[in-house]
Amino acid sequence: MNRHHRHRDSQDLLSPPVRIVATIILAVIVLVPLAYTLLLSVTPDAEVGGDNLIPSRWAFDNYIQMWSTVSLAGGLLNSLLISGIASVIAVILAVGAGYIITRFRFRGRLPYLYSLIGLQTVPGVMLLLPLFVLYASIQAVLHIQLVGSYQAVILTYLTFALPFATWLMVSYLGSIPLDLEEAALVDGATRLQALWRVIVPLALPGIVVGLVFSFLTGWNDVLFASVLTSPETRTVAVQLQAFGASQEGGVLPLYGQLMGAAAVSALPVIVLYIIFQRYLIGGLTAGSVKG
Amino acid sequence: MSMQPVSEIVPEAPVLLQPERGKRLSAGRRPFWLMWPSVVLLVVIIGIPFLIAFYISFLELDQYTLRSWIHAPWVGLSNYVTALTTGNVVGASTLASLGVSVAFSLLTTLFITPIGILAALTVNTRFRGRALVRALYLVPYVMPTFVTALVWRMMFLNRTGLVDRFLAVTHLGDINTYWLLGPNSFWAMVITDVWASWAFIYIMVLAGLQSIPSELYEAADMDGANSWQKLTRIVLPQLRHILGLALLLSTLNHFNNFTLPFVMFGTPPPVQADVLPLNIYVSSFQLFNFGAGGAMSVITLVLMLIPGLLYIRALRLGEAAAS
Repeated sequence: MNRHHRHRDSQDLLSPPVRIVATIILAVIVLVPLAYTLLLSVTPDAEVGGDNLIPSRWAFDNYIQMWSTVSLAGGLLNSLLISGIASVIAVILAVGAGYIITRFRFRGRLPYLYSLIGLQTVPGVMLLLPLFVLYASIQAVLHIQLVGSYQAVILTYLTFALPFATWLMVSYLGSIPLDLEEAALVDGATRLQALWRVIVPLALPGIVVGLVFSFLTGWNDVLFASVLTSPETRTVAVQLQAFGASQEGGVLPLYGQLMGAAAVSALPVIVLYIIFQRYLIGGLTAGSVKG
Repeated sequence: MSMQPVSEIVPEAPVLLQPERGKRLSAGRRPFWLMWPSVVLLVVIIGIPFLIAFYISFLELDQYTLRSWIHAPWVGLSNYVTALTTGNVVGASTLASLGVSVAFSLLTTLFITPIGILAALTVNTRFRGRALVRALYLVPYVMPTFVTALVWRMMFLNRTGLVDRFLAVTHLGDINTYWLLGPNSFWAMVITDVWASWAFIYIMVLAGLQSIPSELYEAADMDGANSWQKLTRIVLPQLRHILGLALLLSTLNHFNNFTLPFVMFGTPPPVQADVLPLNIYVSSFQLFNFGAGGAMSVITLVLMLIPGLLYIRALRLGEAAAS
């Protein structure tokens, strides 16, 4: 700590004035669109296209009306349900796979890890139609409804979250020494007990990162949800996209409400990040700095 | 799956333990069943559709033949020829879209790199309020892309958007700049994505900065180096690998960004902003020319393989595992 303190100056490449100016400019660039969003969200819809930037009155009722203009609550609930279930399952599966990959040597271990990276480069739009076709075919054979159901979207998101979550768990579980679980095994624990009682608590920061990122895979997706959901299962991302698109060329675009809805649907994500900020940055960069 | 910026970050080559060293661990049955669910899911939900995508690209498939797609007429390479020569009726041709996508992903990456490095340098040393600044820097990056796109669509609204108002007040440009149609739409898209994604470079650089030993800075001090020399002779060379990885991933993900132009411009988008993923979407789901969409997907995939392979090489997984 002391050492760090002493050499602080030599690592500082920006002189204080430069740093302050740069920080302020960056902060302004970040904040202006956010502030504008909030400003528009309390501007009466009729005044958004007007000459004055500052509205004649604060239309806080935008935040009340928007819930009935677009079924925002349903969308948020669907997003929460779909992304929540998908992320929990994805992380459980990733912990299982990560455990096997880091604890056992078997044929196909490295090819599996490589192919996870390969999957990362597959354009999502390439899989959309085939996935739709696949679900439709399964539907026809098994006589169940898949397209438009919660199950299909959850299944899709959870699989898309798997490559990243697995990598994350491999790098976390790989850094947990074998001795700890060996001790548990010697004491008579089964493998599953050792995994649950020893490994999982130690890997908790990684699990949190995995959960958050898997959750966001679902929350942020528009592409797959636009085709795989029905009006009942529609996520907030698709609802907002449709809401935005329908304002184009309308008599009175409901831009105020649109921005209110946008702010509300971004909020959970931003809160999630701020709460887990420390974990997230650490988790993301843990592997990179060791290299 | 690169569906959105979230998956941009992939941990680098993990520390692979030497499994099965001790006899004690190998005792008992190996619980391989823990891995099967993920293997099955990846094969069924990504692997099989991936193969179907290839197959479809050789078919004449539209909304009428989709129901019995297996029996759709096989047309060989004609979808590829059509995709490359004529393109779809409402948007840009595949080649034009390809140009837009390449320019978009390279330019965005080019612009966010200096911003990300500068931002990392501003918070690399302790000061009051640093935690707040760090949190603030991340906000554009963590905003869902569909929200970013909606917000910037409002920013770029002609006449009444903040950008045009600003341009008019400062006399830097016309109040009728029309950002959302015509040639400016490309720049609107670039500016928006720069705003949304610079923090990715920032995160990577910040992590890299922390791994530079302080002795290097001290040695530079003794040699009387100034800040610029420290940046160009110590920091950037030390960040070489992590920055290379960051640039590669960034290019890859900007290339695959569908949500931003889709939500920002709607469909059909302006030709100048008709990136490849969006073009594929329109060809497939609005013009119902599934075969052409499939062919364009395969072309995209082949192009993605170049940075993808570079990426795998950069990770040097094999070496890490062998050591």
